[in-house]
Amino acid sequence: MLPLGAWRICHQLVTEPLRSCDWREATVNRLSRLHFCNRAARATVVVSRVCRPACARGLFAAITRSRTKNSKLPSSRTPLAVKPALLVLGAVALLAAVAFLGSALTPAGSSRARRFSVAETASKSAPNPLAGRLSKVYGTNIPASRYGTEVADLEDEGTNIAGEQISELSPLRAAAFTGPEDAYRRYSERWIAHALADTQTLEHALAAGQRTAAMAAWEATWSDYLHLGAVYLNGEVEIANRAIDGTPGELPGGSSDPRFTGLHRIEMGLWSGESLASLIGFDVRMQHDLAKLSGVLQRVEMTPLEYATRSHEILEDAQRDLLSGMDVPRSRQGVLGTAAGLAATEEVFHTLEPLLSGRENTEGEVRDELLMLHGVLASIRARHDGRYPSLSQLGAFEREQLNGYVAGALSALQEMPGTLETKARVPVPKLPAPSQAEEAAEREAEKTAEGEP
Amino acid sequence: MSPLDRRQFLTRSATLIGASGIGVGALAGAAAEAQSRASAPAQSAAQQARETLADELATRVPFDAAHQAGILTHRQAQASFVALDSIAPDRSTLVTALRNLSMRARSLTQGDTVGAEEVDDPPPDSGILGPLNAPDQLTVTIAFGASLFDARYGLQAMRPKGLERMPNFPHDNLEASRTHGDVLLSVCAGQRDTATHTVRELMRSVAGHLTPRWRIEGFQSARRGPTPASNTRNLFAFRDGTANPDVNDPRLMDELIWVQPGGGEPAWAVDGTYQVVRTIRMHVEFWDRVGMFEQQNMIGRYRVSGAPLGGTNEFEDPRYTLDPQGKRIPLLAHIRLANPRTQQTANQRILRRGYNYDRGIDEAGNLDQGLVFVAFNQDIQRQFATIQRRLGAEEMVDYITPVGGGYFFAPRGAGGPGDWVGSGLFV
Repeated sequence: MLPLGAWRICHQLVTEPLRSCDWREATVNRLSRLHFCNRAARATVVVSRVCRPACARGLFAAITRSRTKNSKLPSSRTPLAVKPALLVLGAVALLAAVAFLGSALTPAGSSRARRFSVAETASKSAPNPLAGRLSKVYGTNIPASRYGTEVADLEDEGTNIAGEQISELSPLRAAAFTGPEDAYRRYSERWIAHALADTQTLEHALAAGQRTAAMAAWEATWSDYLHLGAVYLNGEVEIANRAIDGTPGELPGGSSDPRFTGLHRIEMGLWSGESLASLIGFDVRMQHDLAKLSGVLQRVEMTPLEYATRSHEILEDAQRDLLSGMDVPRSRQGVLGTAAGLAATEEVFHTLEPLLSGRENTEGEVRDELLMLHGVLASIRARHDGRYPSLSQLGAFEREQLNGYVAGALSALQEMPGTLETKARVPVPKLPAPSQAEEAAEREAEKTAEGEP
Repeated sequence: MSPLDRRQFLTRSATLIGASGIGVGALAGAAAEAQSRASAPAQSAAQQARETLADELATRVPFDAAHQAGILTHRQAQASFVALDSIAPDRSTLVTALRNLSMRARSLTQGDTVGAEEVDDPPPDSGILGPLNAPDQLTVTIAFGASLFDARYGLQAMRPKGLERMPNFPHDNLEASRTHGDVLLSVCAGQRDTATHTVRELMRSVAGHLTPRWRIEGFQSARRGPTPASNTRNLFAFRDGTANPDVNDPRLMDELIWVQPGGGEPAWAVDGTYQVVRTIRMHVEFWDRVGMFEQQNMIGRYRVSGAPLGGTNEFEDPRYTLDPQGKRIPLLAHIRLANPRTQQTANQRILRRGYNYDRGIDEAGNLDQGLVFVAFNQDIQRQFATIQRRLGAEEMVDYITPVGGGYFFAPRGAGGPGDWVGSGLFV
């Protein structure tokens, strides 16, 4: 059952579809604050947020019927007796949401679609990583179908489903991350190969003097590269990344620094009218750097915490550097970059899903939010003839939607590192008691500070 | 700072204003009210607040002194930083502009009255503070950027030895329109309207000679305790300024802040100081999505108390020697890199006098908030730049982006009513 407050809000959402977007956003926020994890209701929100009120209305009617049947006052805890009915509703709702998004994923002008669109972030033969999949609660034989309100509520109270006392964080085994990280490494290899192929397309366009084609090839290459988002930037990877995707602000000489190379150097040249022939050298060097990175990736080590942390940092980076236009001042392709970042995030989430299963409600929250962001990006792309608009081409409403859903996704993703902890926090060692002289010095420092404004 | 007697100030101001025929009744009334308030045995909270405000508005900081005000003096609640470029065609015009700047700054910082002019003329003062420009602890610190010492005015030989164009440090994203400048004005005051008024009037005084390049407004967080010594918080919610050197120790200030004779510095630079300004965007939403444990490890202090990790008191020495492996305070924690507290790094300490800033939202819908980092030091290379290079390794770099600022030199203060800041440059 839905909590009463949530039920009322759902009612407003689907019965007042013409209210302003601000109102809708505020309402959804209220709903999230209620912190319930009923799948059917979440799906209603998903559908209503992506502006299909009629569809949401149908779902809502189903939920209402279910509510009427049960004369008991809705509570925040789902009684086990009504669980099967809710599961059916949940499945219906998810199917509806997936069907809707599926339709949104088919761009209007697909013949003109660029390769690196949301629709192609997962290969066509692979199942949608975000579709609801049943599995076991990680580390147990408990079906994930029992996951959700029941398990999350128990964990909030400090017990697991077997009734055992657990700490807020029951750490995972570090070895559990080997599989996910290997899977991500294989995925990264595929995207480096795509990027290498596109740098060659770029080289041909530059050599042929075709600026528009070169810009398109640049966009494709950059988007390919951003699919590597979760690769942790340290050591050799950081050095290679600086050469490929570094921005001039970090260099002492800024954009005229000789170390300014790679994607953003080519971007500057392409969008500022530099001669195309003068950019070929940067492209060739980038091919070399990408090949080198491919070798480095084979041996790059990531701790579980680093990998889990990347799951939210990719979109954090996109929000900070791409949606703000900071890293793409010339091409303004922040939407394209964000879509690539979302694809990388989805892949990380996909690899980590088995580990998340049954741990708090992170999996459900993240899936819902990613799904919504995915839908928004797809609808923006569809409205712009199957290609991502530049930041300057985004309509005001599209801009607000995108900003808002990225923020929403990040709010869910922030739970990932904590949920996937592999070690319990050890208390910070205490500072030994100060000597008399040290204590006197502290008092002196304090006295000085007191005299300050 | 010389706190002026409130009643005396208001009475005197009323007399002055009376002479110019403006607002006599209002000001005399205010003075009388202040007198009666002082004699009342019991005061309501509102009365006390009014009185405190009147005290603060009446407080003036001398403009003429060996060292410029706004460096070691009391850090006021509000600030405006304005960088100007000189468009003066020659040296003598530049001198006129700089002299005008000091003259107007002196009069505003000491409190003045808005004079009446011919009714057909534009008023000489915008008047937004009323008929009386209360001093309100106002300080105007005037500093020069490296670009002023290029060939335009023949000042190349006078350039302070350590004054250069601020370089890009790793992780910086400096925007040209928010960086460098020939002259920097640091306007600090108790109330926002005082700072706003001062900037408006100062720019008016140099119109046609100095033209604005960038500007940013700052504010101090309120001192919320728990003790009177507790430092204020920055917008990451951590206390800032805890390990500042003691400004009341003249010997220490000579070691760390003021340029001393010799050492290759031009004579005019003695008793001045290098001012570093860095406009640092803080990605507050990102920060808010980081676990408390990680936040505290990045800084090296507890967020609530400000005590170094493992300690209980904000002013406790973190005693890094007892923690060489970084088990208590990580080796890359901000406080550990900024001030390792060793004998070798003691002369690298700087005096921070920063302000929070909050300037709307960015394109991505995020709050554009951060820190106007302001530091004074005797030698940028030995002090600020060394610290900044160390800080390149801190984990906090992901959550901040330096976007502007510059290196400046704040010369000694003006010697008296006829003198002006920077006069030593043109002798």
